[in-house]
Amino acid sequence: MGRIVLNNVTKSFGETQVIPPLDLTIEDGEFAVFVGPSGCGKSTLLRMIAGLEELTSGQIEIDGEDVTQVPPSKRGLAMVFQSYALYPHMTVRKNIAFPLRMEGMDQSEIDKKVEAAAKSLNLTDYLDRKPAALSGGQRQRVAIGRAIVRNPSAFLFDEPLSNLDAALRVGMRLEISEMHESMKTTMIYVTHDQVEAMTMADKIVVLQAGVIEQVGTPLELYHTPRNVFVAGFIGSPKMNIFSGSEAKKLGAYTAGIRPEHIDIDLSGGTWKGTVGVAEHLGSDTFVHVHDTGLGDLVTVRIAGDVAVKHGDTIYLTPQMDKIHKFDEQGLRV
Amino acid sequence: MTNRSLPRLLQAPAVLLLLVWMLVPLSITLYFSFIRYVLNSLRRPEWTKPALSNWRGFGNYEFVLNNKDFILAIQNSLLIVCSILILTVIFGVLIAVLINKIFMGRGIVRVLLISPFFVMPAVNAVLWINMILDPVLGLQGLAVAGINEVIDGLRTLPVLGGFFSMWPEIEPISFRATQTSAYAVITMVTWQWTPFAVLIFMTSLQSEDQQQKEAAVLDGAGAWSQFRFLTLPHLARPIAIVVMIQAIFHLSLYAEIEIVSRGNGNKNLPYLIGEFANNNIGAASATGIFAVILANIVAIFLLRMIGKTLMD
Amino acid sequence: MAIVSTNSNISRYGRPVLAWGVALLFFFPIFWMVLTSFKTDADAVKPEFLIWFTPTLDNYLNLTENYDYWRFATNSVITSVCATLFTLVVGIPAAYAMAFNPSRATKDILMWMLSTKMLPAAAVLYPMIFLAKGIGLYDTHVLVITVVSLINLPIAIWMLFTYFKEIPKDIIEAGKMDGVSTWGEVKEILIPLAWGGIASTALLIFIFCWNEAYWTVRLTTIDAATLSKLIEGNRAPEGLFFGRLSAVSTAAVGPIVVLGWFCQKQLVQGLTFGAVK
Repeated sequence: MGRIVLNNVTKSFGETQVIPPLDLTIEDGEFAVFVGPSGCGKSTLLRMIAGLEELTSGQIEIDGEDVTQVPPSKRGLAMVFQSYALYPHMTVRKNIAFPLRMEGMDQSEIDKKVEAAAKSLNLTDYLDRKPAALSGGQRQRVAIGRAIVRNPSAFLFDEPLSNLDAALRVGMRLEISEMHESMKTTMIYVTHDQVEAMTMADKIVVLQAGVIEQVGTPLELYHTPRNVFVAGFIGSPKMNIFSGSEAKKLGAYTAGIRPEHIDIDLSGGTWKGTVGVAEHLGSDTFVHVHDTGLGDLVTVRIAGDVAVKHGDTIYLTPQMDKIHKFDEQGLRV
Repeated sequence: MTNRSLPRLLQAPAVLLLLVWMLVPLSITLYFSFIRYVLNSLRRPEWTKPALSNWRGFGNYEFVLNNKDFILAIQNSLLIVCSILILTVIFGVLIAVLINKIFMGRGIVRVLLISPFFVMPAVNAVLWINMILDPVLGLQGLAVAGINEVIDGLRTLPVLGGFFSMWPEIEPISFRATQTSAYAVITMVTWQWTPFAVLIFMTSLQSEDQQQKEAAVLDGAGAWSQFRFLTLPHLARPIAIVVMIQAIFHLSLYAEIEIVSRGNGNKNLPYLIGEFANNNIGAASATGIFAVILANIVAIFLLRMIGKTLMD
Repeated sequence: MAIVSTNSNISRYGRPVLAWGVALLFFFPIFWMVLTSFKTDADAVKPEFLIWFTPTLDNYLNLTENYDYWRFATNSVITSVCATLFTLVVGIPAAYAMAFNPSRATKDILMWMLSTKMLPAAAVLYPMIFLAKGIGLYDTHVLVITVVSLINLPIAIWMLFTYFKEIPKDIIEAGKMDGVSTWGEVKEILIPLAWGGIASTALLIFIFCWNEAYWTVRLTTIDAATLSKLIEGNRAPEGLFFGRLSAVSTAAVGPIVVLGWFCQKQLVQGLTFGAVK
């Protein structure tokens, strides 16, 4: 079980309020991702759930029980830190066993659990090494192992992949997703990387300046962003957002169209522009177009390979049903 | 709640102890500085016990300010501390740069160099003033005597003797005397603390950016320019730290002065206080308050300058 | 190319020679003291025995007879060991609290602690003697140990604070998640991780306590007097006892200098509060 409810939670550091009153429910078994630019309060929120940061006001419930005043270790949660936070003076075995030893579990039971966790994480050969002798990915696995053995009601991940290189990151991402599929335990995962959020989450919580901008499934956020911020934050490459006369023509204060929802043509279309850079990825082509009259550079994503190059004049036509419209307050119309 | 009160509880003993250590004697000093209080007085026996009835107001302060030793002591304090700071920094930088490259026996050189830092101040002073600087029996005395003997020998030469006869005998310098004892103190403390500066500068030099130096070589910088524009700025912070730590230790320099000259006109503030304290506790206390003010000026200046960079 | 080759010529021969010269110069007074300690008092002041002399151990064998050395040395050991322990017992919890649960006042407290080191001892000397005599602690171990601990406490807290701060906060928090108590945190995580730092702090504080010369001299007469007092009391032998004076000095500083050799690296980090690495 692991249903986590935040009621009217706030956090201030001195005079500055970093989290204004906030409500959020994470259902049992859900994979929730907190995503937002750095400094948006997502880590603070996670640390408040963990109990590492005190609430200024409000209440946190886990499985219906008020845990606001309960110390971290008694909340039944396990956390994986960005820096892994392994105990450098202990072997892998001792690291994983540590929370169990603190619980006062007897040694034979501990050994069994550690062996099992090590096996599932491919760490069996490294059990007697110290963390310093492990690679980044292995350290990450030890940190996860230390969390798994506690059999927590929820896992908390604080940007766990940001210290890994790109290739490893994709691998670990899959492993964590798979872990969630097989364990069905609640997971809360903090990241600034919207790709991680989109690929892993059941539920994404987009935060900005301590405020929840939108909560929804990845595809909800993709198809119906609630406001301009979410529209610009979710999706890669970023949505083209424009205001002014072109937006007014569409009946909106601000309008947006994703790069993959624009068609190009060499002879005619809605907007005319000049190609700045064309990035050929093979599977896709990203075309960056100048002087369209929309203000900023417009990015277009075309499946496959298209033969355009710097300086070419091209015409862009948006797929009208894929246009997002927003009012003066930036809210979706 | 325990989250916040526990750290306070853990700090409490240290903070309280230091607070008591600072405030209690200081307030007594302050009290004594405003009363007449002497250890022996046949004429006014009532002054030999501290009491409010002996209130003297700023009389002790006036007495101290009008005492010619006071200005001398302040001058001497500053002369000694500033000379030591300048000398240790200069020698420290030069030696650190000198041994910053790998060479034969560098480890032993390091050990030899650092040794003076661990010698206890009393031994340092006794060693220098007796075995080395004594004008008759120390190495100085022996060296001067030796040179004079050689010159005497030269005087008996047939032709050149006349020329050497015009040379005066070399006089050894007594470092226990009024004018010279400060130099003895500066010498011995510089000897003791230069190793400290070397050690810190050397550590800092090892973190100097080698690529930056290579870039400078490509830009045509010679050895001097590299030192002036790269190494010195890199050492700015360690130099500031060396200055601060030494100021902390040297402002209260005492043992060396006591041993070298027994005050002999070469007092610094701590020494002057000790001298007053032989009888006139009131004056000693007033001088103490002046010393506290002086130390505070230095402390505020240094902590402002360096404190912040230390914290980050 | 020209620059490179002249450079290497200088550094190949000039640098080591110069460096060795400087090192020997700095070490010379210590060497001279040790050398003199093997001469008889009479030989020590005779130029003809400056370097070639018949070495004798008499000065060392007579340490007790000449100076009552062991009484002072014992006092030095008692004072330094107890003061170091006391400093650590008070300093470790304080540094731990400041490093891991800093409040807004922490920086100011640390700076204030350091500033107490700048308080000129002489300014409060007489009140201290007055107080000490008043409560009957003058010339006792308790007093000397307390005072010597207090003057070194700020440095100790600063050093420990720097070492503790190097322990990633995440590790302490991971411990919290894993359910360690405060005491467990200290025992299982802090002490094993900061062991090196605590040891070098202890070593350095021990050296400072051993060498302390102001309070130990002024707050004692005989019962609690340390080696500093012994040396200070024999400061002016006017050339009569260079041999035996050298021997007692060597015996007083020898152990500490050797100890210092082993902790010179930690000394840098400790005394610069981690600002120089």
